[in-house]
Amino acid sequence: MLVEHARNVMGIGDAVHAEYGLSGTPVVTLLSCSLAESQIDITISPNSRLAEIHGALVVTEQTNCNYGLEPSFAHIAFTGGLTVSAVDNTGEVRAVERAGHRFFVATLYQPQRTSRRDAPHPLWTAFVRAATA
Amino acid sequence: MSVISVLMDLPVDAPAYRSTINALDHSIAALDARVSVIVYRTNEIGALGEAVVIGPGSPYRDPAAAESVIEAARARGLPLVGT
Repeated sequence: MLVEHARNVMGIGDAVHAEYGLSGTPVVTLLSCSLAESQIDITISPNSRLAEIHGALVVTEQTNCNYGLEPSFAHIAFTGGLTVSAVDNTGEVRAVERAGHRFFVATLYQPQRTSRRDAPHPLWTAFVRAATA
Repeated sequence: MSVISVLMDLPVDAPAYRSTINALDHSIAALDARVSVIVYRTNEIGALGEAVVIGPGSPYRDPAAAESVIEAARARGLPLVGT
């Protein structure tokens, strides 16, 4: 989603995800510290959709990510209609959302991992609600 | 009946595949929603339905196709979540 944003909204036509090993401008790169099979605290931006969904500004999530937004391209997460909705305790972007869209949220963690039948994850419930609205 | 399309190339027995489908099922049940979930491999994408999940498990088989779906969801206002 960040690569699509970089290419089609920000005009970085050769934007690539480093995992694919393609030539171009890598906007998603290997994290300096792997977050494979990790539990991380997420700080959510006030007034974001994610804050509204969680009703809290700090949540704990599970992740298996090794890639993240390239630090030198962090600005693309703040422009072109995209906003940062969460960061981790190192300040790295962990979630973005698109203002003015019905529902457009991307996370660099896996909220599905903590969903339970008796306690569905609020992000997934908000998404299903939007899908059926 | 709404249709949620899930793009995911992981094997069906991968933990991340199962947790993604389970999380959708949990929320659909909690809302008592009438929703059908269809999983597409990125090299076999069909009609998108009312909403899209960009599932975990990159690299994708067809990243260009996945990007086209993201662009369509952005431009057409389809609800989208990517994890």
